[in-house]
Amino acid sequence: MPNAASPRGELVVALAQIATCPGQLRHNLDRHLEMASQARRAGARLVVFPELSLTGYLLAHGVLELAFGLDDPRLAPLLDASRETALLVGLPLREPDGGISNAALLLEAGEVRGVHRKLYLPTYGMFDEGRYFVPGPRLAPLECSLGRFGVLICEDSWHLSCAAILAQDGVDAFLVVAGGPTELDDGAEPAGSRRWHWIVGATAVTTVRPVFFANRCGWEEGVLFGGCSWAVDARGGSLAPPAPALEEALVVATLSHAAAARARTLIPIPYAERFDLWRSALDHERD
Amino acid sequence: MIELPPVEPGLLATALERFLAEELRASGMTGYVVGLSGGIDSAVSAALATAAVGRERVTAVALPSSTSNPESLRDARSVAAALGIALEVVEIGAPAEALAGVLGCRDDRLRFGNLLARLRMVALYDHARPVPALVLGTSNKSEILLGYSTLFGDAAASVQPLGDVWKTHVFALGRHLGLPAAVVAKPPSADLWPGQTDAGELGFDYPTVDPVLFCHHERGMGRAELLAAGFPAALVDGALAAYRRNRFKWRPIVVARTSASCINIDRILPRNPER
Repeated sequence: MPNAASPRGELVVALAQIATCPGQLRHNLDRHLEMASQARRAGARLVVFPELSLTGYLLAHGVLELAFGLDDPRLAPLLDASRETALLVGLPLREPDGGISNAALLLEAGEVRGVHRKLYLPTYGMFDEGRYFVPGPRLAPLECSLGRFGVLICEDSWHLSCAAILAQDGVDAFLVVAGGPTELDDGAEPAGSRRWHWIVGATAVTTVRPVFFANRCGWEEGVLFGGCSWAVDARGGSLAPPAPALEEALVVATLSHAAAARARTLIPIPYAERFDLWRSALDHERD
Repeated sequence: MIELPPVEPGLLATALERFLAEELRASGMTGYVVGLSGGIDSAVSAALATAAVGRERVTAVALPSSTSNPESLRDARSVAAALGIALEVVEIGAPAEALAGVLGCRDDRLRFGNLLARLRMVALYDHARPVPALVLGTSNKSEILLGYSTLFGDAAASVQPLGDVWKTHVFALGRHLGLPAAVVAKPPSADLWPGQTDAGELGFDYPTVDPVLFCHHERGMGRAELLAAGFPAALVDGALAAYRRNRFKWRPIVVARTSASCINIDRILPRNPER
C-alpha cells in the first residue's frame, strides 16, 4: 500500500468542482466544507478548489467588501479542515501595502503553507480583472508536506511560459484552478471546457508533469462556467474521467510521483528547454 | 451564404434550467411567474422554469384583451397542459380600454399596443408579489438586438433565460422540449392587434435575419462585408437600421454620474449578496 502522505509515493488528490455564488460567503463556505468532507472519505489528502472559490468570480467592486487578509478569522473553518486534508482555496487577498490579489492559498495542518497570486489578469471581452486586482509579483512553486506544486490560476495557464518556468523549478505536478466562463455551441461539452482540455493536455505533455484542473461550474450574474474538471498524468492520459459540465462534482485521482519521474526519464522534454532562446528574445526586445 | 452556427439544444436547455434554479435560490424567492402568450418564447421559458424548479413553483398567466387572437389563449392552454402547470386567465381588455380612454390613445394602434404590453407587465409583477416570485422574462436575443419589444412592457422581467439565445435556436429548443407542434410552427406575433406578426412589422423573419445579426454583432462584419457575403441589401439595411435605432433599449436607463461612487459605473456589485 503506497503511503499517500509521502512526497515520493502516491498522493490522492480531489478536485472540488463547485458552483459558488458571488458574495454569499456562508453558502460557499458550506460547499467547501462539504466537499472537503467527501474528499476525505474518498481518501484524498489534498483538495483543490476553483479560482475565487470562497467568494465567487464576478465580484467586480464586491472585492472591496469581500477581500480576505491572511489572518482573517473567516478562514478558521478551512484552517481547521486542513488539519485532516490539505486544501487549495481561492479568494481575493488584501495586500498589506494596498491592492487586492486574485489568490490561491495552500492550507495544511491549520496553517497557510503558501500563496500564489494570479499573474495574468484578463481584461478583455467579458473579463475585467485588471480593474479590480493587482497582478502577482512572482512565480514560484508552493510546497507542503505532500509535495511541491505549480499553482496556476486560470489565465496564468494560457501563458505556457508559466508552466515551463515552474517545470524548471522541479514541481511535482500542476494544480490549475479556474473560473472558466463558457459559451455553448453544437458540441456535447461547453466550448470553453473543450479549450481548457487542450490547455490541460498541452501543459502536461510539454512539461511531462501531471496536471490537476479544478474548474467551477454553475452560473454567476448570468455567466455560465464550464466545469469539466479533469486530471491527467505526465503524458496527458486521463487519471479520472472529467467531471460533468453543469453539475457540482468531486473528481478523485492519484498522483504517482514515480510514474511521472519515469515519464520524464523516457521523455526528457523539460530538461532540454533552450533558455538561451528566451534570453536572446529578451535581449532582442531590449534593443 | 453564411449560416447561423447550430447549438446542441439538450445542453443549452439543461444549462438554462440550472440558471433558473440558481437565480431563484440566490434571490431567496419561492417561484416564477410567467405570462403565457401562446407563442414559442414564453412556452420555452415556462418549460425551462418548470424543469428547473418544479411545476408547483411556476405560475402561468394568460393576459388576453379584446384585440387578442383567440388562438393565443387556446395555445397558452395547450402549453400549460403539456407542462402540467396551472394557467390563470387575467382579462386586461376592460382595464386597457378604460385607461386608453383616459389617456386618449385608443385610436393609435402603437400606443394602445404598448399600453397592453405594459398592462401585462403590471399584472405579472402584481402576481409575483404575494408568492413572492421572480417574473420570468421571455425575450430572445434576436428581438432584443432588433429592439422589437416594449420598454417596461414585455421587456420587463427579473431574469431573461433566452436573452442570449437566437430565435432560430429558440425554435430548436421548442422542438427539443417537445412543445405542442402548433406553438412551434406558428408565425411569431406580439398579438397586440389583429393580424400582427413580427415578420410583418420587421420586414423579415427570424431565420432569415439571424445569420445577418450573428455576422454583424458577433463576428464584427460591416455592411460591405455582409453584402459581399451574399446577404441582400434590403435585408442588411433593415436589420442594421433596427440594430442601431433601438439600441437604447439594451440599457434602458442612463444614470447621470456626478460622484466617484456612481452605481453600476464606479460600484458594480453582485446582485444577490448574503442577507
